[in-house]
Parts: sequence; C-alpha cells; structure tokens
Amino acid sequence: MKGLIKIIVTPLIIIILTLGTTGCWNRRELPALGIVMGVGIDKAEGTDKLEITTQIIKTSELKSSTPEEGGAGSSSSGGGAYWNVKNSGESMFSTIRGFTHRTSRKLYFPHNQIIIFGQSLAKQGIQEYLDFLLRDQETRLEVLMLVAEDKSSDILSVKSHLEKIPSVGVSDLMDSQAANSQTIVIRLNQFVTRIMSPTTAPIAPIISIKGKADNKELEVSGTAVFKRDKLIGQMNKEETRGLLWVINEVKSGIIDIECPDQEGTVSLEIINAKSKITSEIINNKPYIKIDVKEEGNIGDQSCTASLVSPDAVAALEEKKNEAIKDEIESALSKAKKLNADVFGFGEVIHKKHPKEWEEMKDDWDKIFPDLEVEILVKAKLRRSGNLGPPAAPPEKE
Amino acid sequence: MGVVLRYLIKKSKFLKLLCQNALERNKQEPSQDGPNTLTNLSQSLKTNLDLIKGVIGNNYDVVIREFTFDRQRQVNAALIYLSGMTDPTIINESILKPLMFESRLSINSAPKLDDVEMIRTTMLSVGEVNKSVNIDEILDSCLSGSTILLVNNCHEALMIMTADWKSRSVDEPKTESVVRGPREGFIESLLTNTTLLRRKIKNSDLTIESMKIGQRTKTSVSIAYIKGLANPLLIEEIKRRLNDIKTDSILESGYIEQFVEDAPFSIFSTVANTEKPDSAAAKILEGRVAILIDGTPFVLTVPMLLIESFQCSEDYYSRPYFVSFIRMIRYLAYAISIFAPATYVALTTFHQELIPTPLLFSMAAAQEGVPFPALVEAMGMGVVFEILREAGVRLPRPVGQAVSIVGALVIGQSAVTAGLIGAPMVIVVALTAVASFVVPAQTDSGGILRILFVILAGFSGGFGIMIGFIGLLIHLTSLRSFGTPYLSPLAPLSVSDLKDSFIRAPLWAMIARPRTIGWHDPKRQEFRLKPSPPLEEDTQSK
Repeated sequence: MKGLIKIIVTPLIIIILTLGTTGCWNRRELPALGIVMGVGIDKAEGTDKLEITTQIIKTSELKSSTPEEGGAGSSSSGGGAYWNVKNSGESMFSTIRGFTHRTSRKLYFPHNQIIIFGQSLAKQGIQEYLDFLLRDQETRLEVLMLVAEDKSSDILSVKSHLEKIPSVGVSDLMDSQAANSQTIVIRLNQFVTRIMSPTTAPIAPIISIKGKADNKELEVSGTAVFKRDKLIGQMNKEETRGLLWVINEVKSGIIDIECPDQEGTVSLEIINAKSKITSEIINNKPYIKIDVKEEGNIGDQSCTASLVSPDAVAALEEKKNEAIKDEIESALSKAKKLNADVFGFGEVIHKKHPKEWEEMKDDWDKIFPDLEVEILVKAKLRRSGNLGPPAAPPEKE
Repeated sequence: MGVVLRYLIKKSKFLKLLCQNALERNKQEPSQDGPNTLTNLSQSLKTNLDLIKGVIGNNYDVVIREFTFDRQRQVNAALIYLSGMTDPTIINESILKPLMFESRLSINSAPKLDDVEMIRTTMLSVGEVNKSVNIDEILDSCLSGSTILLVNNCHEALMIMTADWKSRSVDEPKTESVVRGPREGFIESLLTNTTLLRRKIKNSDLTIESMKIGQRTKTSVSIAYIKGLANPLLIEEIKRRLNDIKTDSILESGYIEQFVEDAPFSIFSTVANTEKPDSAAAKILEGRVAILIDGTPFVLTVPMLLIESFQCSEDYYSRPYFVSFIRMIRYLAYAISIFAPATYVALTTFHQELIPTPLLFSMAAAQEGVPFPALVEAMGMGVVFEILREAGVRLPRPVGQAVSIVGALVIGQSAVTAGLIGAPMVIVVALTAVASFVVPAQTDSGGILRILFVILAGFSGGFGIMIGFIGLLIHLTSLRSFGTPYLSPLAPLSVSDLKDSFIRAPLWAMIARPRTIGWHDPKRQEFRLKPSPPLEEDTQSK
C-alpha cells in the first residue's frame, strides 16, 4: 500500500497543488478574442467624459478579403477587416470593460500597435489615462504613442492603402520614419520615462489627415511637445531632426545643401550619426555642450561641378556642419520658447553635478530658457555613390 | 479518488491470494511428477524406444529408423530424428552409411561395436556428437535437430548434431536501412546471427555463451560480449536476470526485453535492439553485451543510453561534419514530435500574446469558425494520425498506399475545407508525424509524451508543458539500464563522451570508449591518429 501511495497519490497531490499556485492565467480560444490593433483616446464632445475608440480586427474578413483587394470588395461589409468601436465613460478601465456591452468578444490588448491621443485631451493632460495602460497585464509598454492633430477616432478610420488594418498601417508608417529621421518615434515606456522625469519634457509624433473623402491619407507632420503631461506646442520636421540630432536618434536622412561655388543643390545622405551631451558648471552657471559626429555620402547633386575633389569635399563638409548646426539651433530655440526641456539637459546636469543640481532643480524652468549651449558638429563625407564626378559634359574653362 | 483506491486495494488482495495458491501448487508438484519421469535410459533398446515413442512418437515428423549393423553380432540400433529439422544427407552419408556398410567392409579388424563410445570415436564422420543417459536431455537435443542413436545393450545414447532447416537468407534489414554501410542483417537463425557477429569481430575474446529459456519453447538465448572489455559484474547481472526468467515461452527478443528491463513502468525502453550485425558489433566493442535470441532478427544490447536512440550506424561511416548536423536535426525532430502540438495548443489558448502579430492574424483567420477547441482538435488529429499509421503498417503494401492517400488527401484536405479543423493544426500534426519517424527507437515514447503534453498544454498552457518537461527530466535522470545512468553522458556529465552525442567527432578523436560503459578498458585507439600529409623533412629524408 505504501508503494501505491508513493507512485500514484504523491505525484497527484504535487500536480494539483502546483497547478493551483499559478498566477493569472486564462484559457481562451482564438475565435473568442477581439484582437485590438489600435486604441484612440479622445474627449467626448460636449462632456467631460472620455471616449475610447478601439480598432478590432475581423478575423473572418482577414482571409476572404485577400483575393479581391482594392476596397470595393470589402466595403460591402462595412470597411475592411477591422471594426472601430467607440465607448465613453469616466475612467479608462471602466470604459474599456464597458466594451463588453458592445462587442461579442472580449477585447484583447497584447497585440495593440498604437495608442493615439486626441489633441484636446492631450492639451488637458494625459497622465491619468496612462496609468491603466501601464498597470494592466494585457497591455504592452512597447506600443507606439501618437498624438492626433484633431480627433484620434478620425485617424483610426483612415484606410491604409497598403495594409488591411489602419493601425498596422500607422505602425508601419512609424517604422519607416527612420529613413528620414524627421519624426520622433516614441513608445509608451519612453514616453512614461520622460513623464516621470522632473525636467525632461515628453514628446510624441503628431499624426494628421491629408486629403478629403476617399483620398484621405495619414501624414506625420511634426512633434508634439508636452510640459508635464499637457500638450503645449509643436515642432516642425526640421526642428524635430534638430531634436533627434541631440538625443542621438538620427538613423538616416537627407541633408540638402547648396553646391559650393555653383547654382544647385547637393543631397547628402546620413549614414551614421552620434551625439553626446556633456555639462559643465562655470561660475555657478550650467553650461551644455553637444557633440555631434556624422558621416554621410553624396546621394544626389544638381550642379555639374565635380564634388569629389578634396577641396570640394572639405567645402561640403563645412556646409553640412552648418546645416546640422542650424537644425539643432532651431530646435533649441523652439524648445526654449516653449520652455520645455525636450533634450533632457536637466537629467544630464543632474547626473554629472548632483550637488549643484540640488540648488538648480526647483528653478530649472527659469534656467532653461537662458541656458548656454555650445554645439560642435563634425560632419564627414565618405563616399560619392556609384559616380565620382556627375554625368555631365566637362566644364569649359 | 476513494473509489479508485478501494478498487486498487481489492485488486492487490486478490493478487496476493493468487500468488499464495500458485505457491501451494508448486510445493505439491514435485511429489506428483516424481514417479512419472524416467530420467535415465535402460539397457534394452526396446524399452528405450517405447519410452521415447510414448513421449514424442505420435508426431508425424518424428522418424524412428531401426536397423542392425555389425554382420557378426547383428547389433540392433535405432535412429530417431525429426525430418525437416535435420539434414538427410548427413544422416544417410555420415551415420547410416558408415554403420551399415563400412562396418561390413572392415571384416578383419572388426571392432566391438556395441559400445557407443567406440561408435562415436571410430564410425561417425559428424562434427558434433555427444553422449547422454538422461532422457530429457536426449529429447531436448532431438527437438533441436539432433539425431539420436540408440544401440541395444547400451544405456547411453549418442546425440549427433544434424540440425539443418530452411531459413531466410541473410539480406538487407527492413528497419535501419542505410545509404552507406553493410547491407546484411540478422536473420531468425541464432547460429547464423552469431556467425555474423564473429565475422565482424575476429577475436578470441569474443565470447558467446548460450542458455535455454522458456520451459516449453526451450528457446536458445546467447549472450555475446568481449572478455576483458565488458564489465564482469554486468555480465553476471545479465546472466542472473536471464536465469531468473521462468516462463513457458520466449518467442521474440521483446519477451526477453520485458523480463530483464530495469524500469518496466517507464515509457522509455532501457534495452536497445538492432537488426544490423555492424551496429551490434560496434556496441559490443564499446563494452556492451548483446543478447541474441533464436527465432528473431532483433538482437538486444544492454546497457542502453538515451542518446543511442539518436545514433545510427551510418553516422560513423560518413564524414563527421554533415553527420553532426544531422544528429542535431534528429534531436530537433524528436523535440518537435513531442512538443509541437502542445506548443501550438498552449499558444492558441493561453499565450496569444507570444505569437507574432502577422502570424496571429493568419492563425486567427484559420481558426475562425472552427467548432472545436484547440485541445480537442490536436487530440483528434493526433488520434487520426495514429489510426492512419497503424493502418498503413498492418495492411499489405498496396492497400497501405490507398489508406495513406485517403488519410492524407481526403481527411486532411476536406476537413480543412469543410471547416472542421484549422489549416495550421493540420500543418502542425503533419510536421509532428514526419518528425516522429526521424528517431525510430523513440517512436513509442514520443507518441505517449505527445498526447501527455497536449493534455497538459490544453489545461494549463506553457506552464503545464514546463511542469511536464521537468517531470520528464526527473524521470529520465532516475532511469538506469543495468546500472548505467540512462541520460549519461549528459547526466552525469562526461565531457569527453560528448564527442559522440549531439555531434559526432572524427573517429581519430574518439580515443576513449564511453566512460559509463567501457570503463573496464577505456582506451579504444592510439593518440595522434589524425591523418596528415608527411612533413617536409620526412619526404626529403626518403
């Protein structure tokens, strides 16, 4: 009998007990899930309430709409393989739970690609809405954050011409921004890190609708600058790249400069860029130094002069230095104007000079607009593509 | 729970009763059988013949040939043999002819031929001739193909080895087929099998010991090992376990396997089998012991390690690089065959967040409208696959093909189009099925584990798979095969033996035998056997 207990009963007890000690788990079949791909958070018009738009994929449409792509086939079923549902309520959690009154499937958030905040809500402050997104175990921190130029629900209903799901289109759109480095791509965790910092201003890309009716398109038009958690201003594309230079986020992009000694422009492609922010305290005054190192190639030129000679290269590098410096300075002046430390200078000083920072931190809003910043740019030109001199008739001398 | 326990208690009581009865019967048996068995032969030929006829005489294949020889004294004698199991040429040319004719020719110096020892030494031109007085022994040897010579006025009989019967010729084994390597396989005849082994290992230390197991079948069982290489304790243990088998029949090596294995309740076999003399020889040369059983081409080798299932004789005949890759593929395939359906079930029912988004789209689309939960789907498809496989194995080949067409095309394809199951599930099950054939030695354990893991995954997802996997590892580490840890050289870890585990190192690098098996004589070959072109100085000196 003892052997029997050992062989059968003990493992059974172990299995039953261990299965009971598991944490949160839930058994759900795929067809029972309402897979959310995008979330838009707005202020409900006319009230103080919150309005949440979720984009749920219609799994049954996913397969069938593949052969007859083009919009016409899928429009009959109400617009493609997705469904935008709206619900309004007082708090994030109750509003999201409230969707069960409207959808046959429970919403499933882990695959959510984007969170878009409406402009009016962003101006009011968004901290209270982020808490649910951070606390809930189904939502992810890697989700992309955006701010709509107007209402986020409008953004979610703009069909993507290439993707079946608009949210996927937006998330792919953000992925492709690295080729230009004129848009900030920010994820929820990065955004929250900035919000939690006492000085650094959160930023998020602004997405807007271009065109009308059937020709609606989405465009990333700039960067929204927050102070604490409230939207206070915008940066345009050039200013955004200036910002990206400083925070070491430039991946690639094109810099247009004038041809040296000739009419026309040269487009230089950014291949590699690095930046470093250092701080110093001189005479009790903080002082910031930004080092930017850049490497690039000649991508395009409209003038006919050969730009591959050492002299021309040196001239181009000089011009590129200036161009980069201009971008950074424009970003800096905008940030100072908004009095929003989007670069995180405060954190840099905090780390390097913790003692002095103690005196400064309460006055940072007063210090920042007058902060002295030195910008050092070392741009290099490495290659000229498949051509050396341009394919043009030789110059007559 | 209570019901099950009560039932088990009842059952154990019943079994105890049964054992007691059997013991009591055994005690009585000797006294009953005692007077019936005549152990020894008598002087009279007639009595002896009557005795033998009384035991086996009414069989149609028993031939009793009575004759007289020695012209002067007219000695009566009789040959008893089984036609069909004996070679008539030997009986005619080497037994009857010398006794009946050649004894007459030598008139002058006629020896006294009523002594069987004289007949054995002077008259019979057959290799193996034994003497016996014990009637049981005589009958056993007759039933094994010997010809019995009984002579009047002799209380001893000669058992002349004339065994020869029809058997399959040595040909390519159906299992374990190779591209490169010897094509011969063991056959059903024990003698041929031991010969095949001897032809591989021409060494006086190769010892083949024989015994008979099975009270009714009297099956010849041989153990083969290399003296000085195999662990003597292991040999002793094997002999002990074999001698302990008190059953009435041994029909295949599987019978022996199930009587000697270490873990009869484990789903893992702790006794390896092979159909190829070369791999049996290789295992003997590593210090293992082979058990050859008459009547089956499957030879058992012990001790068995888990990694043996992933090795193949061809691994050692091909060059090591691709073989190492294929080895890893085998491990991967085994993992797929166990875990793939369970992982799929766990992902689709518990961990949808782990699926890449585009893949989730297509999986969700395929799963849309499927009426069953993923667990039921996986179990159903698994059972359908096992049915198809079993049908394919048992049926004659032409019918088997029809079955596989019906199974694969009709059931698989139309079940998906009819919306009964999702297409990804069919892919997963098909992949699992193909993967499960990669490691033939572990097909049975894989089949059971697969179902187990699917159930665990269906009820508690990745957590269940994890628990199951830990349990599986604990079980595997607890297994022993004739004293050797089943998971060695992985647990206990033996780094030098890893040369022949996940990879196969070049032959010249494998200097030592596996440590857990061949430790009695670890050195397999000399160091520095790596081939290289001659050095420059060497060529110049020549």
